[in-house]
Parts: sequence; C-alpha cells; structure tokens
Amino acid sequence: MAVTTRLTWLQEKRLQHHFGGKQFSLLYKASVHEFSSENLLEKCCNQGPTITVIYSENYVTGAYLLDSLQEEREVPVILFALQETEISEYKTGSHRLETLVDIKKPPAGFWMDLGNKRVAMSSKVSEELGLPQPCTTSFQECEVFRCKDLLDERKEEGVIVLKRTLLFAMSTYKPYKDMVHQIRILLLGPTGAGKSSFINSVKSVFRGHVTNQVLVGCDATGISKKYRTYPIKDVNDGQCLPFILCDSLGLSEKEGLCAEDIVSILKGHVPDRYQFNSMEPITSRHRNYIHSPSLQDRIHCVAFVFDATSVEQLSGEMVAKIKRIRREMIKYGVVHLALLTHVDSINLITVGDFPDIYSCVPVKLKLEKVHRKLGFALSDILVVSNYVSEWELNPVKDILILSALRQMLWAADDFLEDLPFE
Amino acid sequence: MAVTPRLTWLEEKCLQILLGNASLSLLYKESAHGCSIQKMVQRCSQQGPTITMLYLQKSIVGALTLDHIPKIVDDSEKQCASIFFIFQKDSLTVMSTLFLNLLKVTSDYLEFYSSDKLNFWIYPKKRVFRKPDFSVTKFSTDIQYLECEVFRVEGIKNDLGCIKKMMTATQHKNKLLADLRIYKPHADLVSKIRILLLGPVGSGKSSFFNSVKSVFHGHTTRQAPVGSDNTSITEQYRIYPVKDGKDGQYLPFMLCDSMGLDETDDEGLCVDDIPYILKGCVPDRYQFNPFNPITPKHPTFITSPSLKDRIHCVAYVLDINSIKSLSSEMVAKLKQIHEEVLKCGVAHVALLTKVNDCDEVLQENFLNMTKKMTSWNQVMLINQMLGIPLSNILMVRNYASERELDPMKDVLILSALRQMLRAANDFLEDLPLEETGKLGFFCSSCKALVFFEKP
Repeated sequence: MAVTTRLTWLQEKRLQHHFGGKQFSLLYKASVHEFSSENLLEKCCNQGPTITVIYSENYVTGAYLLDSLQEEREVPVILFALQETEISEYKTGSHRLETLVDIKKPPAGFWMDLGNKRVAMSSKVSEELGLPQPCTTSFQECEVFRCKDLLDERKEEGVIVLKRTLLFAMSTYKPYKDMVHQIRILLLGPTGAGKSSFINSVKSVFRGHVTNQVLVGCDATGISKKYRTYPIKDVNDGQCLPFILCDSLGLSEKEGLCAEDIVSILKGHVPDRYQFNSMEPITSRHRNYIHSPSLQDRIHCVAFVFDATSVEQLSGEMVAKIKRIRREMIKYGVVHLALLTHVDSINLITVGDFPDIYSCVPVKLKLEKVHRKLGFALSDILVVSNYVSEWELNPVKDILILSALRQMLWAADDFLEDLPFE
Repeated sequence: MAVTPRLTWLEEKCLQILLGNASLSLLYKESAHGCSIQKMVQRCSQQGPTITMLYLQKSIVGALTLDHIPKIVDDSEKQCASIFFIFQKDSLTVMSTLFLNLLKVTSDYLEFYSSDKLNFWIYPKKRVFRKPDFSVTKFSTDIQYLECEVFRVEGIKNDLGCIKKMMTATQHKNKLLADLRIYKPHADLVSKIRILLLGPVGSGKSSFFNSVKSVFHGHTTRQAPVGSDNTSITEQYRIYPVKDGKDGQYLPFMLCDSMGLDETDDEGLCVDDIPYILKGCVPDRYQFNPFNPITPKHPTFITSPSLKDRIHCVAYVLDINSIKSLSSEMVAKLKQIHEEVLKCGVAHVALLTKVNDCDEVLQENFLNMTKKMTSWNQVMLINQMLGIPLSNILMVRNYASERELDPMKDVLILSALRQMLRAANDFLEDLPLEETGKLGFFCSSCKALVFFEKP
C-alpha cells in the first residue's frame, strides 16, 4: 500500500547535492501509477521544478526540469546519469514534455517510451553522460519528484524562530534554586578536537558576528596550555550570561592533562590562567591555589569534545583514559555529555541538513559508533559545527550550538539537584 | 511558482512526531493546482497513505487514510478507513479524533463518513467543508477554509488504531500527569511512596528514574549517571525525589536506585543487602560493597526506620530483549530476591524496558494493556518465572537514545508509575494495625525488631 522511492539515502543525497542542495518529494511512480505519460503529466504538472529518475539495470538516469512542467510549455532540461558515486550531466536547452515522451516528435536527444518501458538516447547524449552504447535500453521503474531547496524559506523562518526561542531561554536561564550565579561547563577532549573553537562559536552566537577571542592552536604543537574560564556576554544588554565555559589542556596518551589536575578542576581549586604542567599536577602550595572553593568555583557540567571525523581513530590508550575519567566524574557526581564537532565534515552532510541533523543516516551511524566505543548514552551525544572560517553567523549553525548549550545547562541543573544536603 | 505547504516547519515537525516519525510529501495544494475534485484526485489518487488538511485561522482540520484515494470519480461508496482529526495550532495538540470507514468521491465533493452518517465533507469549489456533528441536531454548518493541502504520509504504521493512539497520546499524558500530582498514599500513612528499582546491570533502572524526571520536566534529564559498561554504573544506593518541573513541588513518590545485579556471586548488588533496603535501614548514598552487605554496626545504618523509610513497592527492572537469555544463575538470584520481597510483604511489579513497539502496548483508549502486542510472550515468561500478576507486568521505553520527548513514551512511563503507586497503596492498606497505631514486626530475614509508627 505504501508508495516509496527506490532511491537509497545515498543516491538521493548525491542527486540532491548535485542539483544544488534540494530535497525531493515523490509525486509519480510508474509501477504504481501506470507506465503512462498521461498519468505522469496528471500528477506532475504545476508542481514546480521536478526531477525524473529512470532505473535501468546498471545505472540510474533521468532529466531535471528547472521549471514547472506544463502542457504546451517549454522547460529547461538537464539530463543526468548516476553510476556508483559519479553523476554526469548534459544541458540540452528548453523542451516541451512531448519531446521527452513521444518518439514521433523531434527528439531532445533523450526520450522515454513509458508504455514499453524503454528509454532512448542519441549518440551524443550517451557519450556526454559517459554511458555505453547502444542508444535504446529497457528500464524497470520511473519516478518523478518535486525539487525544493533543502533550506527553503519556510524552513529558514522556522529556524529563525527556534534560534530566537533558544537565545531567550539561554539569557533568562536561572540555575537550579539559584544555588550559583553562573554554571561552569568544563570542556575536555583530545588535542585539536575543537574545544576552543566551540567557545569562540558560543561567544560568536551571543555577539552577533564571528569572534576569535579564544586563541586556537596558539602553540607550535597546537596545544592550549593554560586553564581559562570564559564568561559570555549578551550583546543586547552587556550582561554576563549565566554560564562560564572552561577550557583546559588537551588530553593525549602521554602528555596532556593529567588525571589529578582534572579532579582539582572539578572541585574548583584551579584558578583562571593556571599554567598546566603535564608532569606535575597542581598542589595546594601553588601561589594561586583556591583552598576553599565554593559551589560557584566547582564544575557543574563537563562536555567531552571530539572531532566527528577522527573520533573513531582514537587509540586504545586514549579510549581507556577517557573511560577512567568518566568513572571519576560519576564518583564526583558530575554530569557529562559528549560533543561531536565538524558534523558538516561527515560524508554528504551539509549545512542544509542541520535543522534535522539527528535524522541523517551518516550522523546516526556516527553516534552509534561513539556510543559503542566510548559508552556515552546516545541521547548524551550532541553534534555541532563550529565557526572556523566564516565572518557572519548562520542561524542553522546557531541552533545546533544553542541546542547543545541548553542540554549542558539542563545537565548542570541535574547536578545541582543531586548535591547532598550540607 | 513555488508549491510550498502552508504548514510551518515547526508545525510539520510536531505532526511528524504525532504520526510516529512519519514524513510528509505535499501532493496537492488547492491555491496552486485548482479548486476542483478532479485536480485533487489527479494528484492524490493511488499515493498510499495520505493526509488531507484544511487550514482554518487557529486550527487544522483533516482526515488521514491508510488506503489509496481512488482514481475514479463517481458517486459510489467505497470502503476506506480514515481518522478525522482537529489539530490546534497554539498547543500543537490533536484535540479530537474520530474513526470513519467510508469514502465517496464525486465531481463536486469528497466525503469521508461512517455508516451512522457522521461525515467529513469537502466542497472545493466553494472552499467549504462540513465536519462530523456529534450533537443531536440534523443540520450541519458549512465552514469556510483558507487552504486545502494533501500530503503523502511515509513511514507510518499500517494500523489506524495505533495512529489514533499516537495522535491523542498528549491528551492522555496530561490526564495522567494531573492524576499523579494529586495522588495521596493510602490514609496518608506516609507522605511519599518509596519505589525500589532492582534488576540486572544495564537493564535500565537508572534510566527509568531519568525518564520519569524527564516527563515531569518536559525535556530529557540525566541526573542518574548512565552509560554502557560491563559492570554497574550505579554503585551507590540512591533515593531520588522527583519534582513537578524545575521549580515545582515534590511529587508524592521517590525512586530508589540500586547497584545492578550480576549473575556471579561477589559481583553486583549483594543479595544480603536487600532485606535491609526493604526495611529502610540503608541511607541515601550508601556505597554498596559486593563482598560485604551492610550491617547494623555500619555508622550510617538506620536502626529504627519508620514506615516512611521503608520500601513500599519493588520494581524488578528487566530488559525485554534479554529475558529469554537470562542465565540460570540470574534467574535463581531473582527468585531468591523475590522470596525476600514476599517474606517482607512488600508490593512488587515487573518493569520491562527497551520495548520496541510503544504504540502497541496499550489499547486504543489507553485503559489496559493489549495482548496482541509482539512482546506478550515476554510478559508470560515473567508471569511464570516470578509469579507476578499480569496486570503488574509493565512496559516502558526509557529516554536513553532519544533527544526529544514523545507523548506515547510519556504515557507508558506515567502509566507504569501509576500502577506502582496503586500496588503500593494495596501494600499500605494491608498493613496490620494495632489500636495504638504503633506495632512491632519481627523480620526473620534481617534479625531486627522494627517498629512502625503512624505519623
């Protein structure tokens, strides 16, 4: 009973990319709606731009119509072929529907005989598309989709409403029972995962344009060596927001942040700008050591930051280290999440996918792998795309950053609520 | 000319959830394709499940059908099961649903109706519709609509009963929330019911607490640590109160979380700890030791627990997908524990987690469990293994892999909680009482004389 496309997620994604970030809505399927040009026209005319996909035994081919299909009207046509992972195309100019479906009319170099399930191409067209001769082939299925921008006006409006809602929620957030004025969120993760970039991205969202205040890779080896606590300002009223992001030395197998320092950070003993030494943890004899930290000085939520493109290549040593740190966090009752950066570097993912990012197949697979490798609950693994090379904000990136931040604040509330009475 | 739904993106996302994470593809839009049945049927016939939506100022009225809309326009009556619904825009909630089972397509109108003449009737030429009239009057009013759109619905379950449940789950969830907020333990013997969660490592005990809290807070929470590991993530005894939202009042129950059970002796929760937990002798945050149970000599041991410190209901938490592969050692351990629970007279339920078919667990009206669900075999297994009554074998899907709440999952979680509170009430009602309200009870298991005192 259900009418669904034969395209795999990957095939659909490749075609969508190729024709400029579209999304497809199935309108006509020959095996359900009859192999008939009258029925195709009935279902597909006046639907805006459409793409016709033809499934032959060895390849997928078809025509992209850049304008609405209408009787007696010429429409610009791009022919294409999809083989394995490659798409080739050939622009044939403008044609009427008849020239695509009726072999008696002058050909556009390409025509479909729906009734007999045959498609024909001129030698020139098949050569341009890199398809083998002969010119006439049988096909098994024909589908026609409406093509719309993945990020169309309607979705963009929804994203802007959502961003406004999130910004308001962040700036009016109050920690649980006002137990502290500001939530401290500690970012931990391997060197180069994007911890400092995430802080810059959060600052950027609240500033209204991209900022690079937090130095990234300020050392020759790209390591932040100091402990930093960054308050974030709301550009509207200049007030500090109710959270502070804390940046630390990256984790690594040998050097990097040592376990004893992490405990000291969690408890609130480490002052801002403390210079880490991977060979020697901080002690109470240090000049600026905070001897009696208050709840305000403690860490209320931890985010482990990983690069989505390299998290699967973490060494066994690093994985074991992260698991040990997590056990320590559980002991101290600190709630923690995983944050994957560079989500737009995952195969076939673009900014246009961000509004529904958790529904994308490659992202789901990535989160499953992180869940199995590192043990985080799936709902505790968040994804973002940091601002790295841009100058201006993109609301679609903003909602990922703000959504992740909101999860961290909710997690901090859970931490505060769980504190033993004292 | 763009052919774009009038539905906003956020409204579409909400509808998708209500339809069980289906996706919507626009097929027909009246203002783009013409105000006629012929134009509608041309595009919408033979498209599988479809949803027809009429837009009003503050609501959307429509019908969802799983059958094909026929391609022939005539006056004949056709079997075509559908659900009529009204969707409120401001609350993003389906307020009303009705089953209809017949369809008529004429050259002028489309009519979904039932044999007792309730009908939903669309007349595109005049942009009016008539909705099912539940009152006694014979005269229906034609109502003007702003737009008509028809979408194909993909990825939807082929069961109208399930779909109706998903559409109306929010209403039922709100009713359950209201009931739980005003719940009072039997005769006010205690102010809060204590529910103990017991079960193997990884069965979802801590996740269940997080899920209950999530439902009351309206977003996912993570107070109890969870994650996957071979040994129990939970190593302390925790007594979790739950608030009705971040700034709300405490609810009349607490969930007590324990270390996971392991089939091996000297791993996981010590069976000898359990009688003391049941009696209320174990304090919050007690660090379990698999080798040594708590003893009265422990500095934080509660030597004279009152009724409010006791466990009033035990929930055995089991992964529904692992029941058939429980080792004989684990089964023996569960039975041993169950004997202790029975000996102490505590109310008990089984809670099966990680249910895959959330929308199949309950009847259409949410009042009872159905027996046609695919998990019924597991229910029978637990019934036989531990002798727990069928009505006390509950099913949920915790929020462990989802980022957003789902009304259908909320309903299962709240229903399970309600059954636990009912079982606890039975326990309280069955307590022996002496005239003074103070009584002694010698529990042979923990070799302690425990006094109850009426508050």
